[in-house]
Amino acid sequence: MSGCVLFLRRAAAARACRALVALTAGRRPLRTSPPSPSFAKELFLGKIEKKGVFPFPEVSQEELNEINQFVGPVEKFFAEEVDSRKIDREGRIPDDTLEKLKSLGLFGMQIPEEYGGLGLSNTMYARLGEIISLDGSITVTLAAHQAIGLKGILLVGNEEQKAKYLPRLASGEHIAAFCLTEPSSGSDAASIRTRATLSEDKKHYVLNGSKVWITNGGLASIFTVFAKTEVVDSDGSVKDKMTAFIVERDFGGVTNGKPEDKLGIRGSNTCEVHFENTKVPIENVLGEVGGGFKVAMNILNSGRFSMGSVVAGILKKLIELTAEYACTRKQFNKNLSEFGLIQEKFALMAQKAYVMESMTYLTAGMLDQPEFPDCSIEAAMVKVFSSESAWQCVSEALQILGGSGYMKDYPYERMLRDARILLIFEGTNEILRMFIALTGMQHAGRILTARIHELKRGNVSTIVETVGRRLRDSLRRTVDLGLTGDLGAVHPSLAESASKLEENVYYFGRTVETLLLRFGKSMVEEQLAMKRVANVLINLYGMTAVLSRASRAIRVGLRNHDHEVLLASMFCTEAYVQNLLSLSQLDKYAPENLDEHIKKVSRQILEKRAYLCAHPLESTC
Amino acid sequence: MGQLTQKLRISREVTQQVDLSLRRELKSESACFFKGRRILVANLRDTIGSTLFLSSGDCLSGRGMSWMQAILLARGLSRGWGGICGAALTGAPFSQVLPQAMRGFHCSTATHNSEMSLVPRPPEPRQKPIKALAPHEELFRQGPGGERDKASFVRAVQNFGQHNVRKRGHVDFIYLALRKMREYGVERDLTVYNLLLDIFPKEVFRPRNVIQRIFLHYPRQQECGIAVLEQMENHGVMPNKETEFLLIQIFGRKSYPMLKYLRMRLWLTRFKNINPFPVPRDLPQDPVDLAKLGLRHIEPDLSARITVYQMPFSNELTSTEDPVQPHIVGIQSPDQQAALAHHDPARPIFVEGPFSLWLRSKCVYYHILRADLLPPEEREVEEIPEEWNLYYPMHLDLDYARSSWDDYEFDIDEVEEGPIFAMCIAGAHDQVTLAKWIQGLQETNPALAQIPVIFRLAGSTGELLTSSGLEEPTPPLREGQEEEGHLQRQQQGQS
Repeated sequence: MSGCVLFLRRAAAARACRALVALTAGRRPLRTSPPSPSFAKELFLGKIEKKGVFPFPEVSQEELNEINQFVGPVEKFFAEEVDSRKIDREGRIPDDTLEKLKSLGLFGMQIPEEYGGLGLSNTMYARLGEIISLDGSITVTLAAHQAIGLKGILLVGNEEQKAKYLPRLASGEHIAAFCLTEPSSGSDAASIRTRATLSEDKKHYVLNGSKVWITNGGLASIFTVFAKTEVVDSDGSVKDKMTAFIVERDFGGVTNGKPEDKLGIRGSNTCEVHFENTKVPIENVLGEVGGGFKVAMNILNSGRFSMGSVVAGILKKLIELTAEYACTRKQFNKNLSEFGLIQEKFALMAQKAYVMESMTYLTAGMLDQPEFPDCSIEAAMVKVFSSESAWQCVSEALQILGGSGYMKDYPYERMLRDARILLIFEGTNEILRMFIALTGMQHAGRILTARIHELKRGNVSTIVETVGRRLRDSLRRTVDLGLTGDLGAVHPSLAESASKLEENVYYFGRTVETLLLRFGKSMVEEQLAMKRVANVLINLYGMTAVLSRASRAIRVGLRNHDHEVLLASMFCTEAYVQNLLSLSQLDKYAPENLDEHIKKVSRQILEKRAYLCAHPLESTC
Repeated sequence: MGQLTQKLRISREVTQQVDLSLRRELKSESACFFKGRRILVANLRDTIGSTLFLSSGDCLSGRGMSWMQAILLARGLSRGWGGICGAALTGAPFSQVLPQAMRGFHCSTATHNSEMSLVPRPPEPRQKPIKALAPHEELFRQGPGGERDKASFVRAVQNFGQHNVRKRGHVDFIYLALRKMREYGVERDLTVYNLLLDIFPKEVFRPRNVIQRIFLHYPRQQECGIAVLEQMENHGVMPNKETEFLLIQIFGRKSYPMLKYLRMRLWLTRFKNINPFPVPRDLPQDPVDLAKLGLRHIEPDLSARITVYQMPFSNELTSTEDPVQPHIVGIQSPDQQAALAHHDPARPIFVEGPFSLWLRSKCVYYHILRADLLPPEEREVEEIPEEWNLYYPMHLDLDYARSSWDDYEFDIDEVEEGPIFAMCIAGAHDQVTLAKWIQGLQETNPALAQIPVIFRLAGSTGELLTSSGLEEPTPPLREGQEEEGHLQRQQQGQS
């Protein structure tokens, strides 16, 4: 095993320069406005920003070899030594498994090599995530450690903090945890009760409060804790603001409750963590005092894209397992694989896996570019799409297996339970949809401000132009955004799908403009509309990703690229139809728009807090 | 929240009253109640519109027969109105109206029970003042210790059938039975009504030719049938297929009772669940349970908690100074609790009441704890925290708002009222009892100890006082002291 680690380290060292890129990226100062708008934000304006998306991001041949050499030993370890069933039953990861994970270097995948980590790029991290996904509990433990637990130190920590903490975190000697959620505060930062007060000698903060549902809470010795501190504003007023701290368990006063009994990912350690008069030296403030909110947001936004590859890993494994079953189980003298309804499920799983793989590696590639724009929307889209597909596909797989899928003797029910958390943690999908839609709307709204003002003021030429465009649009003109054609970015065999994407993007841009005109800044209240906007955007991003990937596959001549073309065009057609429906539901007077009914029904129910209809057997006599 | 609460509460009260008046309307077509020199025009105007207006001054001026004429007019008009409508609908001759009106007049001079106007009173004092008992009264006479229940009622009805093979005097008997139903507690029993209808001889009253069909065939019997249905309607009893079958057998398909039946089938189903805040049919007898029900009824917030601050207790033997301890039941929602915690202790809060709340035929009185609306300049502007949502922006940084095209807000002038912090129903409406409520509230609302509480207890309850069938409201204790404020500084030591 040590030889293997040695190899991993050597392989990592070979890419020192690329790691540096990742490092500088990690060190980027926090900022709200990116240098150039990302792909997704441009979609809101009805444009396709081809840079960074077409062609599909590639890695060099030697990097590819490296990745493959990384993957081998890890895959072997997971296949042979990890007993997922036992982990799930006993509710903990055995110590020797944890030790081996540490010796493989998996606790420091994205920590730069100078601090003893592997220094993997986002792409390589995603690739490794596919393998780790074979056990849900380990995935979550590792993710809580490095995707959020120590991410704060990587993103905003100063040199001393990095030098002090990262080496031991990379080796796994210390495990990190991320402490944000409180009993009264989920995503509402204003209601955080944990408080840090500066001591009289101004040398340390005294931390008091409780955090709940902390993954690794019982294992961790380093905590990233968010607490309210008093900050003197520029105008002299004292305000409560959130600050991030690095807290060691050895500081004293840190206790944790017993591990929670959960539905899935039972092997991961989730518990309450209490801080009672914990003295935190002021050197351990992460980022600026009062700047904790942005730190938390950045940490949460940065780690999401990797869920795509995790789920893709699960799905690929699941397809193998269920295909094996479907091809051997006989009913009515026929294999299950010969039934159309079973075949359909395999096509669905393959399609979902293909789309989320494409989305994940496209996003990872964008993130790995030097001077990449802010890709948090893309990452959130990957998370939403992959978590929902995971739930759907695992459920379909269980359906293929019939009764045996439901039994504890097989791994499928565990996969189903493990998959359920994906829709909830790292921001529930509902909240992320709001994030996706509103961030894009904010971007589009700023750019379109002048136009909308003119329309509202009644500028004749703008109105005439808009009406004229609407008329032309209603005649279904063909949209050309430069994806197809002789010099198009998309291969001609996918031209039909590409024009569907172009049409969707164009009309999406129009719809966004209408929505801005209608709702303006009160858009935040239109959650149903925002959900649809997010759904359309996720589909558009998925379409772009598969088109880009399939085009590359044809041009490079990868094996089975015709299969990829099939999957790509299948998804594009489905997404196109879904988008048309969603776009028409966003139209105010469309018969498909049932928002008012939905709101009314739920309002009546919530008023009474019960199901309202009389029982079908009731009568008035 | 408190303001909303009050608004909702008021709207519930209105619904309550409308519901009540609806029911009264159903009970008597012209709800004109006479009692000595008092005349109550309860909901006459609803029934017969503005055609008739009785002011009590006119009636009490003692100008000979003027009040009698007024009654006659009222009865006649309302009957006439019904008759015209009926005629318009069915083509029945108009001539039916007058005799009925006349009889209505005769009946109403008797001691009046507002219940069933279609059922003529049995003793007709003008004609037979001496006779004390109605015919067939003996059938309902009980042996000593006899139970008045459904079984004995059914037995009485069956006895009539057995003794009277030819069913002589069955109309009188049905009217008598209808009057007796309440005593026997069977007024809501459909089978008993069907049993009563079954007394009618079958096939005899069915019209057999065109002439009979045009004119009211056997009017007395048809009216009696209608009276049975009317009483069913008053008690909310929905007729069933058996009723229909009986009516067809007795009066035929084209008859007034049948028409009444069809209308009941249509309208009773529509009206049965029309009240969005239904009150259970049988109200609890225990005053504490009744108070709980009443409080739940007026409190819109479902998470509100009911607390019994004091159980009713009466013992003259042990306690000398406070022989009767009235019940105190209160309700408070978490939002109200939070609002009270944030209340500025410099501003007093008020205990107001008693306000009446009708639950079917019972009236309970409640008190509220409320504050005045803050003047606009002192209201805290709810500021949106800068760093609020970790995941998505809570407000967009755009300088244009919702277009008027999508603005569904109606232009409503809203009257804002001060917040209501709690409500209670107590057995007594005096300050001592209510002070105990406030003390009980302090346990869950520590802030209350710092806030001055002013008792503004009204002397009059503001409701018409009627004695029959209603819970006797406790007479207000300090008459004439309306709106007199008693500033009472609640101190921690007192509680």
